[in-house]
Amino acid sequence: MGEKDHYKNRIELLQGTLDMLILQTLQWGPQHGYGIVQALRLRSGEVLQVETGSLYPALHRLERQGWVQSEWKQTESKQRARYYRITAKGEKQLASDLGRWERIVEAIGSVMYVKPEESES
Amino acid sequence: MKGFPGFGFQRRKRELQEEIDAHLQMAIADRMERGETAEAARRAAAREFGNIPLVQDVTRDMWGQGWLEQLGRDVRYALRQLRKSPGFSITATAMLAVAICANSTVFSWIDGTMLRPIPGARDTGDLVSLQRGERNFSPVPPFSYLDYRDLREQNHTLAGMLAYHHDWITLTGGAQPQRVYIANVSANYFDVLGIKPVLGRFFLAEEETRPDAVPSVVLGYSLWKTRYAADPAIVGKSIEVARHPVTVIGVAPEGFVGAMPGLRDDLWITLNPLGTNAWRMTHRGGGGPVWLNVIGRLRPGVSRGQAAQDLDTVMHNIVAAYPDDHLGENRITLDPMWRSPFGANGYMAATLPILLAFACLVLLLTCANLATLTLVRFVARRRELAIRQSLGASRVQLVRQMVLEGVVLSIVAGVAALVLTSWTSKTFAWFFPVSAAPINLNGSMDHNVVIGIAVFSLLAGMLCGALPAWRSSHAPAIEVLKAESASISSGSRNRKLLSALVVAQIALSLPLLLCSGLFLRTLRNLAVANPGFEQDHVLTATVGVNISGYSRDEEQAIRHKILDRMSALPGVKVATLTDWIPMILNQKKVDAYPEGYAPRPHESLMVLDAEVGPRYFESLKIPVLEGREFTPDDNEKTPRVLIVDQTAAKRYWPGQDPLGKKLKVGDGLFTVVGVVRNSTHTFVNEAPEPMVYMNLFQAGYETIVQVETEGNPADLAPAVENAIHEIDTRLPVFDVRPLRESTQIANSFAVIESTLAGTFALIGLVLAITGIYGVVTYRTQMRTHEIGVRMALGASRVDVLRLVLLQGLWLTGIGLVVGLAVALGLTRFIARMLYGIGANDPITVVSVVMLLGAMSLLACYFPAHRAMRRNPVTAIREL
Repeated sequence: MGEKDHYKNRIELLQGTLDMLILQTLQWGPQHGYGIVQALRLRSGEVLQVETGSLYPALHRLERQGWVQSEWKQTESKQRARYYRITAKGEKQLASDLGRWERIVEAIGSVMYVKPEESES
Repeated sequence: MKGFPGFGFQRRKRELQEEIDAHLQMAIADRMERGETAEAARRAAAREFGNIPLVQDVTRDMWGQGWLEQLGRDVRYALRQLRKSPGFSITATAMLAVAICANSTVFSWIDGTMLRPIPGARDTGDLVSLQRGERNFSPVPPFSYLDYRDLREQNHTLAGMLAYHHDWITLTGGAQPQRVYIANVSANYFDVLGIKPVLGRFFLAEEETRPDAVPSVVLGYSLWKTRYAADPAIVGKSIEVARHPVTVIGVAPEGFVGAMPGLRDDLWITLNPLGTNAWRMTHRGGGGPVWLNVIGRLRPGVSRGQAAQDLDTVMHNIVAAYPDDHLGENRITLDPMWRSPFGANGYMAATLPILLAFACLVLLLTCANLATLTLVRFVARRRELAIRQSLGASRVQLVRQMVLEGVVLSIVAGVAALVLTSWTSKTFAWFFPVSAAPINLNGSMDHNVVIGIAVFSLLAGMLCGALPAWRSSHAPAIEVLKAESASISSGSRNRKLLSALVVAQIALSLPLLLCSGLFLRTLRNLAVANPGFEQDHVLTATVGVNISGYSRDEEQAIRHKILDRMSALPGVKVATLTDWIPMILNQKKVDAYPEGYAPRPHESLMVLDAEVGPRYFESLKIPVLEGREFTPDDNEKTPRVLIVDQTAAKRYWPGQDPLGKKLKVGDGLFTVVGVVRNSTHTFVNEAPEPMVYMNLFQAGYETIVQVETEGNPADLAPAVENAIHEIDTRLPVFDVRPLRESTQIANSFAVIESTLAGTFALIGLVLAITGIYGVVTYRTQMRTHEIGVRMALGASRVDVLRLVLLQGLWLTGIGLVVGLAVALGLTRFIARMLYGIGANDPITVVSVVMLLGAMSLLACYFPAHRAMRRNPVTAIREL
């Protein structure tokens, strides 16, 4: 139970961001769960390690919300896997997530990078 | 219970598993490509993935159907917990099943009688039963045909209004004459009830009062099946009723047995089929023409009160137009069919709801008992609960889990009760001995009862699960885990709740015990009461002379012959005839008043009447106080004579000698020749009503043989029957049985009340005693350590005994005081049903309190004795 709650909290913290990252990954083409983990790891320069305990609940939730769709397909190595594809609704969501993210980055940035002369005065 | 099928849940679970497998396979393949060994790659991939079941778990939560699985999990957990303590589970289920069954049984009886007053009829809630004049418990038919017709035509509030007269007649023409119960009905009878024929048609408006050379009859379904082998071509055929040919015009649907609740009709016929009722059809007053029961159907949107007012106005006009025909009280009152005074429902409405209240008390008591057990169990499980709480289970989750255990129990108990009730609902008919009345009463097991059981069991589950669960979940987890079991006192809150529950059980069982004590003593009083007439050594047999198509002269001749034959039978002390038997729920009434008396407006002139032959009072050992009883010399040609009982004498001629006085009864003038002592007419506990006895040969209708026997009256039955058949083989003879057997029916309701109240009280007693035993045992166990310390410090065994006993007695005492207050407040509701005993009879009260007190003392003694015997050293060690 305790461990479960721990995962839950993590999801909540990351929710907005993780959703956005997943949707962005799917913008480049349909992908399965393992592929999403690998793609995020590579693109982030090995920094972002998404845990499966967060990824799969997020994928299933996004599907329920209608932002992604899934279908079973063969990988190049003949492995049957569940591929997720972003929907039109998901793209709209991604755009709004991105907009919010940029505003947050900008806001945090304007706090963190205060001009030195102003702070000295 | 393995998850919930449906909703594609299993499929989705499989797919998730496959998705995760694919993830792992791909991870392993990547690693092996990078040069890791298969084994190392598998291990690394698994480590990287994490806890697979947990991932599945949190993912499934996203499906939105998680609650369903969660419920499944909770139910599985509850079942596991209940399996762990089979003793508790079985006891609890059995107790609940019995308590629910008690409720559903009484409810099924109510459902089968009061809620289903006329089986087969449409919307019986809109039907109202009309009563004219003063209201009493078992009224006689209140309307004449002309009054009925005026009311039917002049009211503005009823959509329809039917009239019927319940009677019996003989079906002749077959090998054996058969007595059948019939109703003379108005033409709209079936229409108003909303009944459609299965074959043929029902009556036409023009047939209502028209005599026919060959009258029409409608057969009841079961008569059609049994006597006419369900002949599909019966319509149009001729059958014989009382040696008259009649034509079958239709067959009523299965299940419909007439409009009088609780009584069966076998066939229906119009009001004046042979023209013999012509006088009744054209007169309003006196006794004879007032012979119809009337039922109306309210128009949509009309309340019973409005209809009563409307009908009362119409009746008022009728009375104004024909004052001489409407002496006495004439106000119209309406009753819904569930408590209609005509038929069985008046009795049912006075008995069954109170029994249902008793059953509810039993259910409450059971819930209190189970709550005690559950609470004790939860306290014993508090470590488990604390661990679950510290692992993150919220209080709501814990309570839900515990309530679910209660609900699971009550569902199982509900199913058991359903099975039990399907049998017990049919036991209602056992309470009614075979009698002259075609009693058609039983419980029914329909959707109402099933819904009732579901409600009862859910209520019970909530009551005995939720309360203790909420309380238990209060315990702060840390303290419980820190503290070692017995060294904490399990929280004073729980102790208080336990004490309250024990007090409640004793307090609830006391009224049950008191009421059952009162009912049982009532039954005994009724059984030993002297009804004022001889019941043993009397045999009665009904001879269907009047319903077999004999002429008036033939009838009289047959009666004389019967009397002669009976008197000559060996073993017969006194033989007489009558047309009425006391205490079989049958009453006859007439208007009667002294010659020259001017009745006050609305004064009721109704008296009970019976027509009896010579030596009637001798055969029943009713003393003749003044004058004489009838003799063979009183006959059709001699002046009409009458005998009154003490109540009638006092009512009409207070302080005077009634002998020689004249009484107007119906249309005739009768001279009083005797005064007899009061005797019971209907119920032993009735208020005395004036009774007049007329001579059977001058005014009688039916013929019932009544003989006083030397030995066992049942032994004489074949001889009596044979002797009657020797006079005329076509004479139907029925209801040949000892008087003692016939009068049983008057006590039926007392038997029902005391049987049920007694059973319920027994259950209550057992529950209360086990409840207090359980709690005192438990609390003593919790105090083992303390008792050990006390003994080590010098407390004697007697001190220990006193310590434990006092604690139990204290609870018992409070319970008894509260219970007594409740009981004394409640008994006035049953005061009406008691006989020969006050509602707060001190002897019953004291014995019940003593019984309960003594049993509680005994229940406390065992744990006290055990505690006393403990070795203080081991007691101290036990933590």
